[in-house]
Amino acid sequence: MKKLILKRFVLFEQALLRKHYHVFLLLITLVLLSRESVHAQQKTITGTVTFQQKPLTGVSVKLKGANTGMSTNEQGKYTVSLPTGRGVLVFTYIGFLTKEVIVEGSTTINVELEEDKQQLTEVVVTGYGTQKRESITGAISTVTSKDLEKVHGGSQVSTGLAGKLPGVTFRMPDGRPGGGATIQVRNMGNPLFVIDGIQQDKRQFDNLAPSDIESITVLKDASAAVYGVRAANGVVVVTTKRGSRGEKNVINIDTYAGFQNWSRFPDVVNDSYEWYLGKADAEMNNGGTTTVTKEELAKYKEGTAPGYQSFNWKDFIVQKNAPLYQQAINATGGSDRINYYFSGTNMFQYSVLGREFTYGRKNINANMDANITDRLKVGIGINGWNEVRDNPGIPGGDDYNLPRAAILWNRPWERPYANDNPDYINDIGHNESNWAYNNKKYGGYSNDRRRYGSARFNAQYQIPYIKGLVAQGSYSYGLEDRLHDGHEYTYKTYTYNPTDDTYKATGGSINPWRERRTQKIEKNNYQVGLNYNNTFGKHTVGGLLISERYDVRDKEVFVHAVPATNVLPLIYFNTTDTYNDRDDQQARIGYIGKINYNYANKYYLEFSGRRDASWKFAPDKRVGFFPSVSGGWRITEEKFMKSLLGENSKLNDLKIRASYGVLGDDDNGILPTDYLAGYNYNQNGYGILDGNPIIGSRDKGKPILNISWFKSKILDIGADFTMFNNKLIGSVDYFKRLRTGLRGTKYDIVLPSEIGFNLSDENINKDEQAGGEISLAYNGSAGAVTFSVGGNVGYARSKFTASYKPIFFNSWDQYRNSAEGRYKNLFWAYDVVGQFQSQEEINNYPINIDGQGNKTLLPGDLIYKDLNGDGKIDGYDERPLGYGRSADGTNQPIINGGFNFSVAWKGFDFAADFSIGSMYSYNQENEIRRGFSYNSGALNTILTDRWRRADAFDLNSEWIPGKYPALRFNVNSASSVNKNSIFWLHNVTALRARTLELGYSLPKSLIGKINIQKARLFVNGYNLFSIDNLSKYKVDSEVQDTNGLQYPQNSFVNMGINLTL
Amino acid sequence: MKNKFIIAIATLFVFSLGCKSDSDYLDIKPTQVLSPELAFSDPTQVLSILADLYNRQYDYPRLTEWVTFGDFNESFYSENGQYNNYHGNSTWGFRGYRGPDVGGRATYFWTPWDYTYIRELNLFMERCATATALDAATKASYIAEARFLRASYYFTLTQYYGGVPIILNSLEFNGTDVTSLQYPRAKESEMYDFVIKEAEELKLLLPANSNTKARATKGAALAMESRAALYAASIAKYGATTPSVSLSGGEVGIPAGMANAYYTTALKAAEEIISGSAGAYSLYKKQPGNLSENFAAIFYDKTQNNEVIWVDDYALKFKRHGFTQVNQPRFGAEEEEGGRINPSLNLVQSFEKLDNTFAPLATNDANGDYVYYTNQQDIFAGRDARLGGTVIIPGSSFKARPVDIWAGVQLANGTVISGGERGAQKVLPGKTVPEQVVGFDGPINGIGNTAQTGFYIRKYQDPAIGSGQRGVGSAVWLVRYRYAEILLNAAEAAFELGQSSVAAGYMNQVRARAGLVVPLTGGDITFDRIVHERRVEFAFEGQYFFDLKRFRIAHQVFDGVALNKTDLLSNLSKATKRSTQPYSLLPYKYYAPGSPNNGKWIYKVDLSNIVTASDNWQLGNYYSEIEPDILTRNPKLVKQPNQ
Repeated sequence: MKKLILKRFVLFEQALLRKHYHVFLLLITLVLLSRESVHAQQKTITGTVTFQQKPLTGVSVKLKGANTGMSTNEQGKYTVSLPTGRGVLVFTYIGFLTKEVIVEGSTTINVELEEDKQQLTEVVVTGYGTQKRESITGAISTVTSKDLEKVHGGSQVSTGLAGKLPGVTFRMPDGRPGGGATIQVRNMGNPLFVIDGIQQDKRQFDNLAPSDIESITVLKDASAAVYGVRAANGVVVVTTKRGSRGEKNVINIDTYAGFQNWSRFPDVVNDSYEWYLGKADAEMNNGGTTTVTKEELAKYKEGTAPGYQSFNWKDFIVQKNAPLYQQAINATGGSDRINYYFSGTNMFQYSVLGREFTYGRKNINANMDANITDRLKVGIGINGWNEVRDNPGIPGGDDYNLPRAAILWNRPWERPYANDNPDYINDIGHNESNWAYNNKKYGGYSNDRRRYGSARFNAQYQIPYIKGLVAQGSYSYGLEDRLHDGHEYTYKTYTYNPTDDTYKATGGSINPWRERRTQKIEKNNYQVGLNYNNTFGKHTVGGLLISERYDVRDKEVFVHAVPATNVLPLIYFNTTDTYNDRDDQQARIGYIGKINYNYANKYYLEFSGRRDASWKFAPDKRVGFFPSVSGGWRITEEKFMKSLLGENSKLNDLKIRASYGVLGDDDNGILPTDYLAGYNYNQNGYGILDGNPIIGSRDKGKPILNISWFKSKILDIGADFTMFNNKLIGSVDYFKRLRTGLRGTKYDIVLPSEIGFNLSDENINKDEQAGGEISLAYNGSAGAVTFSVGGNVGYARSKFTASYKPIFFNSWDQYRNSAEGRYKNLFWAYDVVGQFQSQEEINNYPINIDGQGNKTLLPGDLIYKDLNGDGKIDGYDERPLGYGRSADGTNQPIINGGFNFSVAWKGFDFAADFSIGSMYSYNQENEIRRGFSYNSGALNTILTDRWRRADAFDLNSEWIPGKYPALRFNVNSASSVNKNSIFWLHNVTALRARTLELGYSLPKSLIGKINIQKARLFVNGYNLFSIDNLSKYKVDSEVQDTNGLQYPQNSFVNMGINLTL
Repeated sequence: MKNKFIIAIATLFVFSLGCKSDSDYLDIKPTQVLSPELAFSDPTQVLSILADLYNRQYDYPRLTEWVTFGDFNESFYSENGQYNNYHGNSTWGFRGYRGPDVGGRATYFWTPWDYTYIRELNLFMERCATATALDAATKASYIAEARFLRASYYFTLTQYYGGVPIILNSLEFNGTDVTSLQYPRAKESEMYDFVIKEAEELKLLLPANSNTKARATKGAALAMESRAALYAASIAKYGATTPSVSLSGGEVGIPAGMANAYYTTALKAAEEIISGSAGAYSLYKKQPGNLSENFAAIFYDKTQNNEVIWVDDYALKFKRHGFTQVNQPRFGAEEEEGGRINPSLNLVQSFEKLDNTFAPLATNDANGDYVYYTNQQDIFAGRDARLGGTVIIPGSSFKARPVDIWAGVQLANGTVISGGERGAQKVLPGKTVPEQVVGFDGPINGIGNTAQTGFYIRKYQDPAIGSGQRGVGSAVWLVRYRYAEILLNAAEAAFELGQSSVAAGYMNQVRARAGLVVPLTGGDITFDRIVHERRVEFAFEGQYFFDLKRFRIAHQVFDGVALNKTDLLSNLSKATKRSTQPYSLLPYKYYAPGSPNNGKWIYKVDLSNIVTASDNWQLGNYYSEIEPDILTRNPKLVKQPNQ
């Protein structure tokens, strides 16, 4: 059959050459009909598939070239019918080498499979291609679908990556429905995402359906250089599932449903008496008088009279056990000429803030590759998603903000409904945080919908006569559409008047707010090139030449109106008062080249380079060249090593590798129009002259002609090894990234400010990032139990190396403000040596703590360390005590890691994985540092453990010690709370349980009868606990907002089922 | 034809890549940038640049930033986040501390040093002059306007810094020579001379049209001249009382001998406007039946308003501000906010009685008993009508809504019953059901947006419905010069030149409009009178700050000593009276069933316990510090005195 096709192909070519198109058409028909055109006697083959004489269940057995096949039963037996009585049987089983047996005569074919000891033959996706794992010479980590599928803890892909990839740092400050995590490669900054060969942004990455992902590969070093001017912060390469050739056609159903609860959230004093006592305490501490009376306090303690009761706002707002669910279905398979993967996924997530704050997304994904001829392969990929963030419209930029803040802002005697009558929202004086109004009925709505559709077409043609040379090309088009409709209604709040039993409208808003944002982002990506790969004896040579163009156009219109009614949704011209229009474009061009060579799978060498151009810069500053080189040496392949280690070596494979390259970063804060001279039109609003609105224009200032991208040089030295019969796999990496060309000012020439312009920045400053990773994994078995254990840990910290001739006014300035040779992102704070224990101690204390002769201090106040010994505490006494945020606002852990454990026994499987983050800081501020600050509401329960007088009303009563300093009412300038100190700053180390999953696969004997190949039930927990030093503040260890009021990550409990039909 | 597929693929990619060269592909036309040539190619486009230049004058206070209205204890900052910045700090620093920014860094108010703006003004004039597409008349009028803006901005810089380098053309750097770009500070007197000279030339170039408000006119130029000359004169005269506030080079301080000439210039410029030669300017008197409303209307009435000379104008939908939104009475406001500026009792009690005498508000009688008022407003009766036009007092109304300001219920035994939220309800003794015990506008100590001093601000509030809506905003304009100032400038200059009765004549015009119809005589005009009249007429218009500085009395008014109640209530007419802390006047409802006073109002003078600091003006505060970075960059700049 194979020969027949080949023969026909020769005719095919000949026909083309001779321009005999009719023959050509005829031949195509023949090719298509060939399968049917040959008939012969049918034959049935049976046999048993074994490994080490034990039967193997579920081994795929199929006739080469056929679409269908079957798998072995529990006894390892199979039966295949051969229509022609001839052919080649293919046996495939994960973890084993594929075996092909030619059917010749016998109808019984027993097969012994060999374990695939060379797990190393695994193929890894790298920049613009794939490589066998053994030939990898860069620092590349991969996570595959196997690991990703067990995460059911959020809607965005990034949320599932904690601890899974060595060198990838993770932090998820906001866990709301649809929230994503901040991930960085070696803390280098925002990475570039490449999805199926196309450069994308993080949103595209996050909105993939996790179950559609085949693998995520992270290029951490010079191996990213082929992505040129956007590669400096590492590249995350994602490959979606495509189906394999010669694989059975199966349908997979993966569905789960679960519940979410906040991991942690601050608690608030919800006892009116405790609150008023705190107020009395705080006011007395202010100035010795209080407006709170003892009589009133007694009534609050009693808590029964109207106006004196307590109300628990947190319980009112937070509705526990918010559901989420996901259904994913896919069909995949392939023949020897076509492979396909079609999938649809639906996910929906509620929030614990009632049930109206939701997120939902639907994904479809389709990939198909077809060999049209033996030389020409074409593929198409279609990806689409539709996500909706839907919630009540609440004043303020973030609709989630007020409901969360309300938990700490609303005071305990305030009640949501007037006279507790749910028909009337109570006027509590600050009604925007009255949860009774934070809903779609009264508040309004916000519906933010993003939709994306992309289609990719690619083709590869094996060029005749040159073995291994392939011409390839692809075109991709993506369109993202955003439609955000928001409407905040007018509403009324009421005061109940008991004297005449009436409800009077005393508050609310008569301001309607209606907005619509429409955005279209179009992306084009064109790639064309040549790929070469061939082996000559022991020499394997590969190469790549690609030209890539990539453009984005982002258009957006924002309209705001003040509608006349709450009930009708359309926007009318006469009520419109804002219309903002935007149209931004990007364009980049890259020429990529890559050569790799290996000798006897022992020595590896790779060169790559990219000539890249970015539209952002002045025409003569656009082009850059980004080369890299890397090499590897598999020592264990050396004869001397083999003889040294002996036959039964514990060390199976050891490769030492190193890489070095130059990468670029065009995201350096420069605007694409900065190189142009002229006037910015309409960027600084209107001027009103003679009563008429005039759009303003402003001089852009001196054009910036000298700035280009950052240059980043990465050195990586690492080793990969396998031991103990390949059961232990590990790798170690050290890296150092030097960035040059960071923006800075040259101080050789200091221009007076009076000339009205500055010399533009230049690419002169330097920094470096250094660290490393270790990862280990062990796969083993004991009897019927198979298990695996693995872990990784990485360290990555950034240091400012040098600026261009820095100038300091004095040594203090240098100490405080110099960055030279220092770690970046330090957090400066005061050291605390204790707390005052008594008024006498304050009176006799020689150091001026508060700048006012200590007369504002009370027992319990913090004693700051007088670092410079000048007898007073001021800015000169600060020193670096923690980790601050980097320029992009993130505060990623410097140490990251994870470990996992899985075990399987018969039908049961259990998996657990954990993540570790350390060396980052959390600074307690605002509502979790001060009492009564916002709306005079907040009194965090942690602040009840405070220094206070035994009798709040008696200035002479004795002090009762507590943890926190004595409260003040609305005095933020109190010495203990107005400075950042180590008392409020916490350097965090957290160990967090991520996935804990228990599964059970129903036995084949049961489900085989109903034609189900696999049925697995599972219970899954995600984020169930965290062991860290922020638990006592009730703050999630990854929350970033210093007031602790961010929407924290959720704990999930899910149940689900995996079915393979 | 070797292989059709190769051709097919090649065709596909040629097609998809198109014929664009690399540079064509990368050259993306900007959507919001005009080249300098295009920008000066037609008058409409040039006006667009001019509109932006108008927008960049440095105003203090600013309608877009309510905290700029609150300083110097003329009011209380009624917003929780601001207490600390203004009531817990005792000095302003040498640059006018305004609080920390988002990143926690200190920010300052008194630091306009925008030489980029000056450069762009210079560039504008130069590019205008050489533009070929503009006719001569258009060029001349645009250039005159830019010149006015430049002079006005140099005047602003002088108010903060004294002498600064005067740069009158766009400078370029040739790559090597820095020293030729280092300009020293001009003398303070030279700054004023420059402004006066420019004004004298510009008044001949600019239109004499009192209907043009937002653009430069002859009236605006003369108003600027009169104010600048007056400032120069008073600094020359009163600077002598603070000799250490000067620099030997004259960058700060003006010799006393120059005072008279400046006063003469100030008077002459003012009288040129008064004479009508700059246009038909007059005091706003459209509502003779309600003098308080009439006074407030100067700021919101844009129709045929002959008082206003030069403004920063606003228009709904295009350029608007939220001043009313954040400051109007909280109760019944369009939004869940308002009430941030609470005028202090310090200011309120300084409005005179109609018989031209000063007196504290009568809270207690001679025996120390409370005075019981039937109506809340009664305690303010018989005072300067400007009080009601500047401040919203208890019992008055705004936007036809009565304000509900009362702090609690006082029982006969002295016990006060109040509540923790606006409109709180409690059960009064002898009653069974709860009733309201505190106003819906407060005051509640420590609860922002309530009238914590007992007052809200009235000036610059927009009475239009919807002006308090976040999505709508207000288009009330910011008045930079108005006719009343011209009269008071003339009065002050005349007084200083020894023409007291002339001074009284001008001042009486302004006072009569406020209902103070008993004329002052020449003998009544004193320094204290001059200072006082400006304080009440121009409250919340930014003049108070500069008056305190040029009269060199700020260090006496803010002497760092806590203001006690006795001090507060005495010497109301004195210009140097201490005002280191903002006081409140809180109304209470008297509850004593059976008593004739039951249900009447009493008032208490109070100081919020949030006010913990006493303002302390240092001599170094008279001139803003020049930032170290600016000094470093130009070694020819000398430092300010006392810093």
